[in-house]
Amino acid sequence: MAITSSLAQYIKATTEKKTFSRSTVVTAIIKADPAIVWKLLTGASDYPRWNSTVVSIDGNIAEGEQIKLISTLDAKRTFKLKIKEMYPQKRLVWGDGQGIRIYTLVNNGDGALTFSMNEKIGGFMFPLYSKHIPPFDRSFEQFTADLKKEAEAIQNLKK
Amino acid sequence: MILISWTNDGVQFRAIEILSCYSTSSLVVFSLLDLRTISTYKNMTTELFNEEFKAVSAPMKSYLLRITASVQDVEDIVQDTYIKGLEKLGSFRGESSLKTWLFTIACNLAKDNLRAQKRWVENVTDICREEAMSHQGFFNEAMQIRATSPQGTFEIKEHITFCFTCISKSLPLEQQLCLFLKEIYEFKVSEIERILGVTEAMVKYYLHTGRAKMIGIFDNRCAIINKEGVCHQCSELNGVFNPKQKFQEEVVKIEMAREADKGDKEHLFDLRMKIIQNINPFESGAAELQLHHLEHNRNVMEKYV
Repeated sequence: MAITSSLAQYIKATTEKKTFSRSTVVTAIIKADPAIVWKLLTGASDYPRWNSTVVSIDGNIAEGEQIKLISTLDAKRTFKLKIKEMYPQKRLVWGDGQGIRIYTLVNNGDGALTFSMNEKIGGFMFPLYSKHIPPFDRSFEQFTADLKKEAEAIQNLKK
Repeated sequence: MILISWTNDGVQFRAIEILSCYSTSSLVVFSLLDLRTISTYKNMTTELFNEEFKAVSAPMKSYLLRITASVQDVEDIVQDTYIKGLEKLGSFRGESSLKTWLFTIACNLAKDNLRAQKRWVENVTDICREEAMSHQGFFNEAMQIRATSPQGTFEIKEHITFCFTCISKSLPLEQQLCLFLKEIYEFKVSEIERILGVTEAMVKYYLHTGRAKMIGIFDNRCAIINKEGVCHQCSELNGVFNPKQKFQEEVVKIEMAREADKGDKEHLFDLRMKIIQNINPFESGAAELQLHHLEHNRNVMEKYV
């Protein structure tokens, strides 16, 4: 996937590989109200407009609901994910049998927040299929850069 | 000093707050502005209220039509706003302009009504076009209005406005409400916060996303701004109602059409907003024709969604 934003070059994801799991995490400071970031993260149908790593999300991002996500990482595949946890403006968790993704927002109290996204995939059979799963790092960096750009554009809207 | 000597509790509180927050020089400016609002509300009689309501009712009716697409709903909501406003006049503290206060009442009434209805779809004009083509009665009525009504002309700018009204009803309600309040009726973000009872962050979110979505929709659809656009209804209807007119000659009179080649989508959207700002859907020379068309689309959408 092409990096479309120069911002993404300054946001670095890291991946930790183990025998039965792989975990990728990315963190960034976003200068925006947590309510704005939360709205962006939970507005399913709006993702393709601002997030260049998402082809589509069908469904409602609400606790207990199921969504169908198509990512640019593998646009032929539809991920059926369950929304497992939602703590407004703080934490959002979705996942399936193979992995879990956790979004965390920490309000820094200075008009900015610390955003992090962590995905852990794995299981007993992980060593058998791990080589078929592409690395997430660049996609995570781009996701975060897109989120930061969009949230800060909204925050800086003229009054 | 004058402000503090007033006995009204609300006023005294505001004055103390100003004193503690502003330097002496800014206090003078702020107090003068505040004085005008406060003195207006302190002297607000029914007669003055009626006068102010009359002035506000034109933009209010226009706003309500654009968010409800129903003349009947507009009349009901305006009437209810007047009654509620008069009933609650004692609670008006002058913390906002009377216009903002009345729009708050009207918006709450409209939201109650609109929340019970389903949102329209992006391709509303395609669906309604198909429906109109299969009912000759629609065109017969429209041609009658065109021939007999002083408000029966067909103008491209009017249709652009009409089209925006219809497509904006595909946005989530809050986005539609915010977009019109800011872009067409020129309320500030702080006033929209008050009118809709949401935070500044949410107003900004609704405005930004609503605007971005509408830019995307019109960029894909509107043949006036994009040669690849799929919608040519302005030109089709101009051919029906103004058969002797050449569409291309007419359309270049519109700044948005002339600027289209530059491809600045944000600028084109601003020009579209300018067109809408300058048209009162109840008073224009095309009002009756467009209201007839709007009623048709509303009926079609009520069955469709």
